[in-house]
Amino acid sequence: MRAAWTTGAEALRARMVNPVQLAAPSPEAEMPPYMESFLAHLRLLIGVPFDYLVADSRLLPDESIRFFYLDRSWCDRLVDGALSVGKIGTREQAHHQAHAPQAQQQLDRTERVVRILQRGLQDFPSAKQTGDQNPDAGQIVTGLLLRSAAVSGWPQMDVRAFSGDVPAGIDPSQVSNSLVMSLLRLERLSPSVLIALFQGVPKLVWCEEPHHGVQFAVQENGRGGFFIPVRDASGKALLPSNAPANQLPVPFRTGGRRVIAVAQLRKDIIKKDQDLSTHTGAPHLPAQTGAAGYAISVLSPPWRQRFQKAAGTFSGGINIASAVERPQLAVAIKSLLK
Amino acid sequence: MINQFDPPRGSMYLYDDITPPTVDGSYKMTVSTNINYGTSQSAPIDRFFDIVGPRFTLDPTIVTSVFPPRNGQGSYEDSLPQIVFSRRTFPWERRIDSDSNPLPKPRDNSNPPNGDIPWVALLLFEEGEFTLLQNQTLESVVPVHVFTALGSPANILCDAVEADAGLLQSLLPSREELQLLCHVRQVNVEDRELSAGSSDGFFSVVMSNRLPAPNTICRACLVSLEQRTDLVRADPPAFEYDLGSRGNVLNLANEVGGLSLGLPVLLAKTRLVLLHSWKFTVQGPGTFRQLMQQVNIGMIGQTAGNQPQLTDTGHLHLPILDRAGENEIAWYRGPLVPWQLTRDPLGPYHSADQCRRATPETGAEDVSYAAAFEVGRQLAAADARLAQELMRWRRESYKQAARADTITKVQAAIAVDLPTALNDKLRAPIAPAVSVSAAQALASGGLPVADRYRINIAAHTAGMDPAALATTWAIAADQAKAILGGDPATLGAVVAPVAETPRPNVTLEQVAADTAGLNRLATARDTLLQTAILKLGKPTGGTK
Repeated sequence: MRAAWTTGAEALRARMVNPVQLAAPSPEAEMPPYMESFLAHLRLLIGVPFDYLVADSRLLPDESIRFFYLDRSWCDRLVDGALSVGKIGTREQAHHQAHAPQAQQQLDRTERVVRILQRGLQDFPSAKQTGDQNPDAGQIVTGLLLRSAAVSGWPQMDVRAFSGDVPAGIDPSQVSNSLVMSLLRLERLSPSVLIALFQGVPKLVWCEEPHHGVQFAVQENGRGGFFIPVRDASGKALLPSNAPANQLPVPFRTGGRRVIAVAQLRKDIIKKDQDLSTHTGAPHLPAQTGAAGYAISVLSPPWRQRFQKAAGTFSGGINIASAVERPQLAVAIKSLLK
Repeated sequence: MINQFDPPRGSMYLYDDITPPTVDGSYKMTVSTNINYGTSQSAPIDRFFDIVGPRFTLDPTIVTSVFPPRNGQGSYEDSLPQIVFSRRTFPWERRIDSDSNPLPKPRDNSNPPNGDIPWVALLLFEEGEFTLLQNQTLESVVPVHVFTALGSPANILCDAVEADAGLLQSLLPSREELQLLCHVRQVNVEDRELSAGSSDGFFSVVMSNRLPAPNTICRACLVSLEQRTDLVRADPPAFEYDLGSRGNVLNLANEVGGLSLGLPVLLAKTRLVLLHSWKFTVQGPGTFRQLMQQVNIGMIGQTAGNQPQLTDTGHLHLPILDRAGENEIAWYRGPLVPWQLTRDPLGPYHSADQCRRATPETGAEDVSYAAAFEVGRQLAAADARLAQELMRWRRESYKQAARADTITKVQAAIAVDLPTALNDKLRAPIAPAVSVSAAQALASGGLPVADRYRINIAAHTAGMDPAALATTWAIAADQAKAILGGDPATLGAVVAPVAETPRPNVTLEQVAADTAGLNRLATARDTLLQTAILKLGKPTGGTK
C-alpha cells in the first residue's frame, strides 16, 4: 500500500511555518503533491481490490504464473473516477475537461517513480524531479501475476526483467543497464500472490530466491540421503553436481534426528580434497582451516528461474519457456592479522 | 566507507573467527610505580574493572537476521537454520570453559580447526521436544558446579529451555563442531540486504547442525554453553551416511536400549540458558526450484484447460443486477489483458455511465471501464486528504482563471501596457502592476502643455485652415495660403514647448549656504513691505 505521504506532526509544522499553505514558487497549475502521488499509485493499480484485477479465480489458479499487458484505458478510467470526487457541477467538469490532458501527461511521468516512493528511497519532490527528466509519454506496461507457494515461502523474491537475452548464470551486476527493464511495481498482493509491472515488453524474466543472508543447506539425493556439491575455494560448484564424483554424502548422527555429524563431514571434505589432488588439474576444495571453510562447503546459492520467450503459441510479446539455473556466488576465506 | 579490504560487490569474505582482545569478565589492574632514592620503594595500586557483554540475556537488537524467517512457513527441510549478529566478536566474547573447569580434550586431536571455541550454540528443537521456561533463577537452570564456575552471580533471572538429557546430547555439537558452526562473514556494505543500517559489513553467524524435518513446527534456540563442561563432549557420537527412508522416524532402539541399560541420564531433564529463540513451520510442497518448475505458465486468459468462459476479446460474462432491478449478464474485463490495447483517446470521462459500452453484436453491456471508474472514485472518496487536495487543486485553478480574466479586462478598459507574461507569473500581484503602468502612461503619454494660446487649435478651425479653404472654394492650395496671409505658418506653425529651465535637485543645506540668494530674497521682501506701507498710508507698522 501507499506509504503515508506526511504525518500529522509534519502537516502541523508545515501549516505553522507557512500559513498561506502554498509555497510561493510552487506553480499552481500542477497537481498538489499528495494528489499526484495518489493518482500515480492508482495508475499502477495500487489499492485496487484483487477481484477487479482477476475477476475469476480460474484466471489465476494455484501454482501458476500469468503474464499480461496493462490496459492503459482501464487505468485512465480509474484516475477519471478518482478525479470525479467532489465534482458537483459544470464548473468542476469544465475544469477536469481542460486539465485532463496535462494531468495524464504528468501522471505518465510520475508513475515511473512510484516504486522509489514505495521503497522510501526518496521523498516525493526529489522523486518527481527524477521522473520529470524523462518526458516521454506513457509506454507499454506489462507484468506478471504469480500465485505460488514460492511466494509465501520465499518472501522478497527477486524479480528482474530484461529487454534482451542474457546468458544463463550471469551475475546481475554484469548485465548491461540498457537491457534491464525498469520495474514499476513489485509487491505481494496476498501471502501467496505476487504482482510485478514492467515498463516495456520483456524478453526474459528472472525470479530469483532472495539473497538476504546467504544460507546454508544440503541437497537431497533422492534416495533418502543428502549430499553437498563439491565446491572449490571460491564457492563455485564443480558442475555437474549430479555426477557422483561431485557429490559429498552428508554424514548424520545415528538416531534419525537429522543432526549432521559436522566434524565427520569436515574430515570427509579433507579426504575428498586429497583424493582430487591426486588427479592433475583438479581444483582444490576450500581449505578446512576452520569454520569458514566448512561454511563455504555447505553454502546454498539462490536458485534462479528464467522465463523466456520461445517459439510458441501466443502471438503476444511475452510467451514463455522456463529454465532453472543456479548462479554462482563468489566467496573467499580470509583471516584477520593477529 | 569503502576501503581496499572490503570485498567487491556480490562477493563475501569468510573468517574462521574474530576474537576480542580481552574476553568479558572481571579484571584486576595493578599499577605500580618504583621509586629509587637510596632504597627502592614501590607504590602499587589495585583497580578493578569489568568487561561486560551479553551473558544470560541477549539484547535482540544485535540479532541482524535469522533463517528460516521468524514465524515463517515453507519448505526449509534442506536448510540449516542460522542466526546472524551485527557484532563480529559476539560468539567469542566469553570463554566456554575455565582453567578450573576445563572442557575435555578430544581423543583424536590431529587436525583441529582454527580459532577459539564459541560460547553459544544454535539448537533446533521440534515441537514437543522442549519446554520454554521464563524468568528462572540461574541456580535452577545450571548445575551447582557450573554455577560456581560462573562465579556464583546473585539474583540472575534468565530464560531457559528444558529438554530430555538424552535428546539434548544427541543434538548438542561437540567441542570441535562448535567451532565449525560459528564463523564471521564480511559482505560488501552496498549489498543492502545484510548490512542493516550503518554496519561495517561484518557479521558473525551461528549455524545449527540439525536439518528441520518436513511437516514439523520447529524452534531454533540460541543457548549459552558457558562453563557447561558437563554437557559439551570432546568427541562427536557415531554417524551414518544414509538417513534412509526412515526420514524423521526416531530410532527408538537407541534410546530404549539406553533405557534398558538403566542410564538414569535418559529420564533426567537438562536446562540451558536461552538467549534467543524463534519458531518456524516446515511445510510446503518443495524447494524453490521444484515449485518454480511446476508453475503453470501462460498469458492471462489464454491458457487451455480449466478456464472460465471468455469471449474472444477476453471479457468475462458476469451476472449483475442493473438499476432497474433486473438480473443481467454483463461483460467485464480487468486491467490485465493478454494483448496490447490502444489507449482510449476519448477522455476524460465524467461519470461511470459515460464509460458503459454496449457490444453491437449481442447488445450485452460492457461494464469494464465503468467498474474502473467506480473503483477509482471509491478509493479516492475513502481518502479524506485526497478530497481536500482535489478541492485545493480546483480552487487554485479557479483563482487563476479569475485572475486571467481580470488582466484581460483591465487591459481592454484602460489601455495600459501591463508587464509581459503577467498571466504566467501566478504569484505576481495585479493591482500594483496596473497602477505602475497607468502612472507611467500618464507621465509619458500626455500631450505637450506648451500651446498656451490654443494657436494650434485655432489653426485647425475651418476658416483658418488653408486646406479647408482650398476644398471649400475649390481653389488651389497656394491661393488659399495666399488668402490667409501667404505664409503657411501664419497660424499653422507648430509652437514648440518652451524649454524648461534645468533645476537640479538641491538639499536644504545647499540652499542655506547660498548667502547671495538669501540676501536677494531678504531685499525683495523689504521692498515689498516698503511698498505696501506706502500704499496703505500707515506711518509705521509693527508687522514684520
